Amino acid sequence: MRWRDQWYFAAEALVRQRFRSTMLLLVTVLGVTAVVVLTALGEGARRYVINEFAFLGHDVLVTLPGKKETTGGLPPVMGTAARDLTLDDAYYLRQRLPEVYDVAPIVVGSAPVSYRERSREVLVLGTVPGFFEVRRLSLALGRNLPSGDWRRAQPAVVIGEKLQKELFANDNPIGKSVRVADSHFRVVGVLEGKGDAMGMDLSDGIILPVASAQQLFNQNGLFRLLIRLRPGVDNERAAQKIRDFIKERHQGEEDVTVVSPDAMLAVFDDVLVVMTLGVAAIAAVSLLVAGVLVMNVTWINVSQRTAEIGLLKALGAPAAVVRRLFLTEAVLVAMVGTGIGVLVGFALVGVLRELFPSVPFFPPLWAVAMAVLLAMACGVSFALMPVARAARKPPIEALRNQ
Amino acid sequence: MMRPLDIWHWVWRTVLSGRRRSFLTALGIAVGIAAVALLTSVGEGLRVYMMESFSQFGTRLIAVTPGKVTTQGMAGMLHSTRPLRLEEAASLGRLPGMEAVVPVVSGTARVEFGKRGRDVEIFGVGPQAAEAWRFKVAIGRFLPADDLVSARAYAVLGHKLRQELFGNTNPLGQRIRVGGARFVVVGVMESKGQFLGFDLDDTVFIPSSRALQLFNREGLMEVDLVFSENTTSEQAARRIRQHLIALHGREDFTLFTQEDMLASLDRILRIVTMAVAGLGGISLLVGGVGVLTIMTTALQERMAEIGLLRALGTTRRQLLQLFLWEAVVLAGLGGLAGIATVVLGVAALGLLMPALPLKLAPGYLLAAWLLSAAVGLAAGIYPAWKASRTEPINALRAE
Repeated sequence: MRWRDQWYFAAEALVRQRFRSTMLLLVTVLGVTAVVVLTALGEGARRYVINEFAFLGHDVLVTLPGKKETTGGLPPVMGTAARDLTLDDAYYLRQRLPEVYDVAPIVVGSAPVSYRERSREVLVLGTVPGFFEVRRLSLALGRNLPSGDWRRAQPAVVIGEKLQKELFANDNPIGKSVRVADSHFRVVGVLEGKGDAMGMDLSDGIILPVASAQQLFNQNGLFRLLIRLRPGVDNERAAQKIRDFIKERHQGEEDVTVVSPDAMLAVFDDVLVVMTLGVAAIAAVSLLVAGVLVMNVTWINVSQRTAEIGLLKALGAPAAVVRRLFLTEAVLVAMVGTGIGVLVGFALVGVLRELFPSVPFFPPLWAVAMAVLLAMACGVSFALMPVARAARKPPIEALRNQ
Repeated sequence: MMRPLDIWHWVWRTVLSGRRRSFLTALGIAVGIAAVALLTSVGEGLRVYMMESFSQFGTRLIAVTPGKVTTQGMAGMLHSTRPLRLEEAASLGRLPGMEAVVPVVSGTARVEFGKRGRDVEIFGVGPQAAEAWRFKVAIGRFLPADDLVSARAYAVLGHKLRQELFGNTNPLGQRIRVGGARFVVVGVMESKGQFLGFDLDDTVFIPSSRALQLFNREGLMEVDLVFSENTTSEQAARRIRQHLIALHGREDFTLFTQEDMLASLDRILRIVTMAVAGLGGISLLVGGVGVLTIMTTALQERMAEIGLLRALGTTRRQLLQLFLWEAVVLAGLGGLAGIATVVLGVAALGLLMPALPLKLAPGYLLAAWLLSAAVGLAAGIYPAWKASRTEPINALRAE
């Protein structure tokens, strides 16, 4: 039988059995759409997280005070260690190591900030003017912290937008004096936006020169040290040099941890990919159920069209042709269903992107390919058995049953 | 009016007669329900695991942290201008209704014994920590009940740290160095596992006063208080708040009750379980469409049967009932099979890999079975309606 005739025969049969074909299409579309949309959700989450990490830049290392040999847990994120990571450590690191382009020491805490009679307890970040560049922060008003030797305390402060509203309402805060705990500071600038200092909201906070923050909290140590490397420097080698440098300054004790955000990101990435895979697998189970339905419907089809089969065979069609005819029906349904499923899936993903423009939803290629392959495979292979049975029936039996 | 028993017989006969068809239809529902049952088991397992992890510290616990600015989860990470002092913690422990007080300071340091050394997280706590946090001592004892501020330099090793530094030898009475300072080992804890990323076995417990010196701090990171059985959580919280405000002059601290923490965790995990079950629901939906399709498609074959029934006087309503029941029974059987598979599977996995967080929740399973029946009911409406609308004469004539 010519190819074209086969396709016409199959298409005609499908149109004739509108209800069945529609239902089969429906389940295929459901399964494929589910896989596409759900993996798009997972991938969107993954890309969002990567972007958040990536904007720190590939050339930034984070040094944490303390070291843990414990496997499987977090690195020493609390920032408390037996031996302090000091401002001098940071200063000489910047001076002596050629791989280091700039450093941003960080101290964090909370303190009450008051202006006239209004007072509020807020997040306090002690750092250097270079921090703004490293974290891509910008100022809504005024200037950055004063430059110069950041080992010296200075009574200047940059406040967040939310704090500005709370303390100053509509007045201009620049140049005014605020009290932070028991000390006076002059407002030199207002931070734009949230600042996003490692998940903490800086708009309801203040930024002080790091040495002033240390005085405020009566602390000699740093919470973190961000290190910006020169372009082209290998992260791992630089990390080792930093460790060695600080070890020498700390009397031969290696008591810091140097983390590359890239490495941390790789760990997160793995977790998220596995999650997306898991979600895809669960959605794909629905395609298997669709396959079961295909088998069921094909059995019924075949038993109800026995006369048709008998006639075909009596007219000389060999078993192989009968098989091919019925299989073509299955292939056709699977193809159309998969096609529509993919289109509907992408359409829904488009809607999601409209609703949440900040998250880059996109179904990963491997997921779409998997959905298509699985849908086609289930749609065809589950029809094989009943079709083979049909083709084997002797024509006389088929005709007699009618 | 058909007797219920007759309806029952009729439904069963129909289901059994088209065996392959019934099997495949029920299979679709079975897989869908199995997906839902398995996923809710996973979700429930995770929930129980997390809740147990949290409640291992006891439920009559209130945590006080310095400052009003809360960071996501990690208390005491921020320095404070109004620190919580050890003396204040001691006075909190003496409030009416308080059974135990645990001042907490933690950080990393090197712990050494002879030539062996290890960098670990260490915890500065009080003598009541083991009791308050429900830790068991394996050898020796926990820290002695010294005065919090002037406690002696004793240390209690975690299970793993003991092995790393001492192997199988007895560590009691030995001198170790923590961050350069000397301590005497008085006990070893039983294995406790991980909690929120902190390994509670690869650590050492020393008095908070010594830890404050070690880390050069004035203030504690957290103060945990356990209140007695005849005090309510509100009463305890109120007393703590009033006392600290009197000491500090303002409310520059934050209170967390165990209930707050557990409740919000529970809420989050229940939502996750439902979302996950929803995923399985997609398969169930496909199964439902399967029931709908097969029953409708099979109608053509059963025209004669329907026509006969109608000719014999069966009303439309009774016909509707019969077909609906058939759909419900088919789906219910499939649901039962799916649930049984999951129950067996989870039991088997529980024997092979007990560490997996899988927990069968009878509530969810029952709901899943009822859901299968509901899906059957919904799917059966259209074919049942179509069947009931057949004119007997048309049906009989087609044969």
